[in-house]
Amino acid sequence: MAASEEAVMWVEKYRPKTLDEVVGLKDITESLKAFMKNPKTMPHLMLAGVPGTGKTTIALAIAHELYGQNWRNFTLELNASDERGIDTVRDRIKDFSRYSRSGFGDIPFALIILDECDQMTGPAQTALRRIMETSSRTSRFILICNQSSKIIEPIQSRCAIFRFSRLDKQAMKEQLQYIARKEKVDLQPEAAERIVEFSEGDLRHAINALQTASAYKEGCVDEKTVSLVIGEASPMQVQKMIRKALYGDFTEARKVMYDIMGNFGFSGNEIIRQIQREIYKMSDVTPEQKADLSSIIGEYDYRLTQGANSDIQLSALLAQFGKFGKNIEETYAAK
Amino acid sequence: MQRNDLLWVEKYRPKKIEDIVGNDEAKASFVEWLKNKRHTKKAVLLYGPPGVGKTALVNAAAREFGFTIIEMNASDARSEKAVNAIAKPATSYKALDNFTGETKTSGNMLFLDEVDGIAGNEDRGGVSAIIEIIQKSLVPVIMAANDPDIDKLRPLKKECMLIRFHQVRFPLIIALLQKICLLERVSAEFEALERIAQNSRGDVRSAINDLQSLSEATHNLTLQDTALLSSRNKDISMDETLHQYFAAKSIVEVQRLLSYSSVDYDDFLLSVSDNLPRRYTDPSELAAAYGYVSKADLYRGRIGTENWHLLKYFFNELAQASAVNPESFKPFEFISPPIRIITLFWTKGKRNLLGSICSKIGANCHVSHEVAKHDFVPYIKLMLQQKKNSPLIEWFKFSIEEVDHLLKMGRY
Repeated sequence: MAASEEAVMWVEKYRPKTLDEVVGLKDITESLKAFMKNPKTMPHLMLAGVPGTGKTTIALAIAHELYGQNWRNFTLELNASDERGIDTVRDRIKDFSRYSRSGFGDIPFALIILDECDQMTGPAQTALRRIMETSSRTSRFILICNQSSKIIEPIQSRCAIFRFSRLDKQAMKEQLQYIARKEKVDLQPEAAERIVEFSEGDLRHAINALQTASAYKEGCVDEKTVSLVIGEASPMQVQKMIRKALYGDFTEARKVMYDIMGNFGFSGNEIIRQIQREIYKMSDVTPEQKADLSSIIGEYDYRLTQGANSDIQLSALLAQFGKFGKNIEETYAAK
Repeated sequence: MQRNDLLWVEKYRPKKIEDIVGNDEAKASFVEWLKNKRHTKKAVLLYGPPGVGKTALVNAAAREFGFTIIEMNASDARSEKAVNAIAKPATSYKALDNFTGETKTSGNMLFLDEVDGIAGNEDRGGVSAIIEIIQKSLVPVIMAANDPDIDKLRPLKKECMLIRFHQVRFPLIIALLQKICLLERVSAEFEALERIAQNSRGDVRSAINDLQSLSEATHNLTLQDTALLSSRNKDISMDETLHQYFAAKSIVEVQRLLSYSSVDYDDFLLSVSDNLPRRYTDPSELAAAYGYVSKADLYRGRIGTENWHLLKYFFNELAQASAVNPESFKPFEFISPPIRIITLFWTKGKRNLLGSICSKIGANCHVSHEVAKHDFVPYIKLMLQQKKNSPLIEWFKFSIEEVDHLLKMGRY
């Protein structure tokens, strides 16, 4: 793993190392620093909030604070959505707490950072709760999730919960300008505005967009470049699939669906989540229609978890969109 | 799946032992055991292929000799607890009914059907519980199985008298079918009955079922009608099944086709899904049909590997999907094999490359695959396109193939 000092990706290069360096999350960092004074008292933590608001950064900063330079030796980073099931998670945690030396200086435990916990199923979470209990003498957990409501009660009650809200625009702009100055790039105010607007409070996304835009023109990021980058980097296939389906070209819509699945390896669940997201971005669909489409999506999202083949459920969803599109057309024609 | 109030197999279930066709030797030894030899072995195990009369014999014998049958079969869980709860009370007192003045009654008779279906885990202790019951039982215990050679039944076999059933010979089956045809007023060609009998492989039950499904609607049976039969044992191709499925004129026809065809259900479901837009061009019809296919898929998911009793609902949904608008049917060319399988096959290399790219991003930037795919890959791709020898390549340790793939990758 590359050392972060020489990180090439700006998201890593400018990721705060200590809690003090984290700006804009004062409430959270202050209470965490209290734990750091006497680490033995640190409970399990749950960090909940939308993407790109600093949850992983805080977790890694805690690891830094606790163990210093050697934090990697005492920290197990796991991603619930990447590990194949709770058994893998259990095995890795077991192995880790067995081999991780019992304590480092004053710290009598190893740190386990488990990302995207809300992607875990109910039974997996119950198993996780057991794991937390059995390894509580040797490990502390930092659980990261988007929605704490998707985490079962018994786990929530074992954790100190910290909520992260969307970063405000001003703070994001300042952060982008800070990075631009360090990188000797002239970030024009309108360009910063455009990036912030686009990234909807997700700082990680914003920094990636900034870095990409800076690769286009030496030393300068203007609004034109930003628009170009955003246009090129935004997903379009899902949007295309939805439109084809709504306009009655089912066969073409399904071809796009298989393209997304085949070439990009998206699962049915991921695709349906994106469909939901894209529907809300569509400017030519009325709020009422969005609500109707949403309830169709909801039904098939549910069926997806119950059925045998995700492509059948997605195809059926696209067919329902086709019918929906046809009905809209007929209503217009009648008027 | 049955269209009639009464299945012919039920209607013509043998009432008396002599009505059971074939297996005379087995019948004789069972009756002998029941009448005179119960002191030698307390239990008997009837074994042999399905549909040859094991259950029928037990029922007929109970009726003739006045026993009340207490039955457990494969659909009941047979853990030790379940066995004890039902079987123990049934076997521990003898002919209680005698006190009620019903003189014909000889008491209870415990019948455990399909004992080879005792599953290893769920029915933990089931075999030993059955053995205990046999040893303590005051009433006759009868068991039936298709395959008595499985290991877990070995201890059971020691406690039992074994009676073997064979396939019923074709002429006997043909004679029975002729008798039923007469009673049901079906005019059948002899060759057709012959064909059904051969196809049944000595399974009387399936032969009667076949006869009913082929002749019930028209009361007329020709050799041609039996063409559909071949599908039970011989594979008809996916194309043929699809063809018959989409051309079907009624739900009944589809249900019959599906219960005879031996195509893989998952493949068939995918193929139906692939071909629906060719069958229904009207968006409303297509949506309706997909609604049913989606539900069929739900049942397929719930069936999994064990809930096979849900199969009929699966068939039903599929049948509905083919019958959304029978008038609009025109022959069309099928897409097969399933698009999914082909797409996933051709794109496997690409997916693997993207997967390893995302792993590297995940490890370096502390994000999941999904976030890497959404929030990093598009940007990294653009940066690489701007600068071919970007330091990103070295930092992420991307291989040449991975860089190549990122550069050429289309937008998602």
